[in-house]
Amino acid sequence: MIEVLAGLVSGIVSGTGMGGGTILILFLSVFLEFNQHTAQATNLVFFIPTSIAAIIVNIKEKNINWKVAIYISITGIIGAIIGAIIAGKTDVNNLKKYFGYFLAIIAIHEIYSLTKKYIIRKKTHNKINIK
Amino acid sequence: MKIVKIAKNTNNKIFFAKNNNMIKKIIIGLLAGLVSGFFASGGGMILVPSFIYILKMQDVEARATSVFCILPMVITSGIFYYKNNYINWKTGIMCAIGGIIGGIIGSKLLKKIPEKYLRIAFTAFLIYTSARMIF
Repeated sequence: MIEVLAGLVSGIVSGTGMGGGTILILFLSVFLEFNQHTAQATNLVFFIPTSIAAIIVNIKEKNINWKVAIYISITGIIGAIIGAIIAGKTDVNNLKKYFGYFLAIIAIHEIYSLTKKYIIRKKTHNKINIK
Repeated sequence: MKIVKIAKNTNNKIFFAKNNNMIKKIIIGLLAGLVSGFFASGGGMILVPSFIYILKMQDVEARATSVFCILPMVITSGIFYYKNNYINWKTGIMCAIGGIIGGIIGSKLLKKIPEKYLRIAFTAFLIYTSARMIF
């Protein structure tokens, strides 16, 4: 039941468009004490059905930029192969630490974009007016 | 003045599109793939901001395209994690059931709760857990 709840919370977060996968990995590794590799792999199972549903909606609403999508997908697959091989060879505790650093970087970026969006709002309004 | 500004802008855009866009796309894709394979998540965290800031895409278009691009990366890295026997199917499927319901609730909730507070809560949560993971 705890797993369904964890999925529910991260589903809500990804529905609002803020990286539900990271939340799920956090739940699994920090609160359910899965090892980092298993937590990450389990997130993949979670992601596939959720994203397929989102993609179908997006194709119907014609939101996808296909030119960009094709290039990014092809190069992304190459990157993913390299990344997954490195992850498989990385020690569990180190991987957990790296993930922590990665989250810290995301947090910093979030703070940056939040301040940009809500505090420096007036400037962007002026720019739009000029255009 | 305004006309000159617009002309400069369009000139820059054409120049930018011809020379740098392809290389930028390749670099963004490789980087997102690397992160996505290594952490099994976070590809979107790279893709969405780089689509918006570097490729100058609209917010909705950027999010939609990123979800589409991440799926092949996730499937590829999933094969490697599967080979190493890291996948816990039972938990994964249980989480996915919760995830689908949560996704529907989340997309409806977004219209009711201001995004600002959600993001502040999300950031606070990230800071707390990242500290717990590093130390």
